[in-house]
Amino acid sequence: MNPKILVIVPSFNEAASIRHVVEEARTVFPCATLLVINDNSADNTEEEALKSGALVATLPSNLGIGGAMQTGYQIALEEDYDIAVQLDGDGQHDPAFLKTLIAPILENKLDFCIGSRFLDPSSPSFRSTWLRRIGILFFCRLLGLLTGLYLTDPTSGFRAVGKKLIRIFASYYPVDFPEPESIQAAKRLGARIGEVPVLMRERQGGISSIRYLRTFYFMIKVTLAILIDTLKKKN
Amino acid sequence: MQPKTFAIFMTALILIFVLDLIRRQKMTFKYALSWLVSSLLVLVFAIREDWVRALATWAGFILTSNFIFFLVMLFVLFLSLLLTIYMNEQNSRTEALTQAIAKLDVRMKKLEKEGSKNP
Repeated sequence: MNPKILVIVPSFNEAASIRHVVEEARTVFPCATLLVINDNSADNTEEEALKSGALVATLPSNLGIGGAMQTGYQIALEEDYDIAVQLDGDGQHDPAFLKTLIAPILENKLDFCIGSRFLDPSSPSFRSTWLRRIGILFFCRLLGLLTGLYLTDPTSGFRAVGKKLIRIFASYYPVDFPEPESIQAAKRLGARIGEVPVLMRERQGGISSIRYLRTFYFMIKVTLAILIDTLKKKN
Repeated sequence: MQPKTFAIFMTALILIFVLDLIRRQKMTFKYALSWLVSSLLVLVFAIREDWVRALATWAGFILTSNFIFFLVMLFVLFLSLLLTIYMNEQNSRTEALTQAIAKLDVRMKKLEKEGSKNP
């Protein structure tokens, strides 16, 4: 039997790119269900997503990326999906790598597969600003120190999880800047985590939520959240 | 007016106000509890000032007034901590409701789609 795959596309004010992202994903990966989580966008994200033919869940108030993704995982759990993939609505994630991303989960090698833009140093992937790269390096070291898992791109939102983590993330998913913290939580709960090389592009529209002073807030909040997570129960 | 009388009068006023809020269902007992306990405590201390003095000496305060200020600060701190907890509870509930609405939204759109395919 074919595995049920849900591609969750969290979107906030991504009217400029969402239609293209969904259509591109459907072309390269027609067997997956595409679900756009419209995080109470002020623009035409919902209309554009509906035009693209995706399923659209609109949140009546803005919950941020964590709350939006958790909604996606809850739907994946309720509708008994085998794999849930996160694909950002801004077009940074190249849908051509969806198959690469889910392959280790289908082969039962991993429970949590992260698309890394740094795993293949020769790749022409978009690698973000130097400030963010310092932050990424910091989280690589921190997570490595705490979990023994040395990743190259822990802030990547291009990720796929299997059934075990769908259930876990449906009941708990970090709120702000959830990517590094969710890795720590998954590792604590015994998930097998790994990376595959992917190509990332510059965002095709919208504005990043991590800018200016929020970068520092992001660093402090995520560091504390990861450290506190280590104190939580292991089951 | 004697400070003691003034303290008793003010505390009784707060106590009556809180009780009235509960009676008129403007405040639930859960949220009123900290106010009720603290105003009753102040009332007892206002009536028996020797108890406050003894407690202040026991805690190592030379001036009883300093001890009272310290207690007030502690109470405000505790109350704000309690309010942060309540706020977080409300936040979690709102988030759960928001997500439930979004899930219903996607289910409804799916049914509408199916309905238009098979009228």
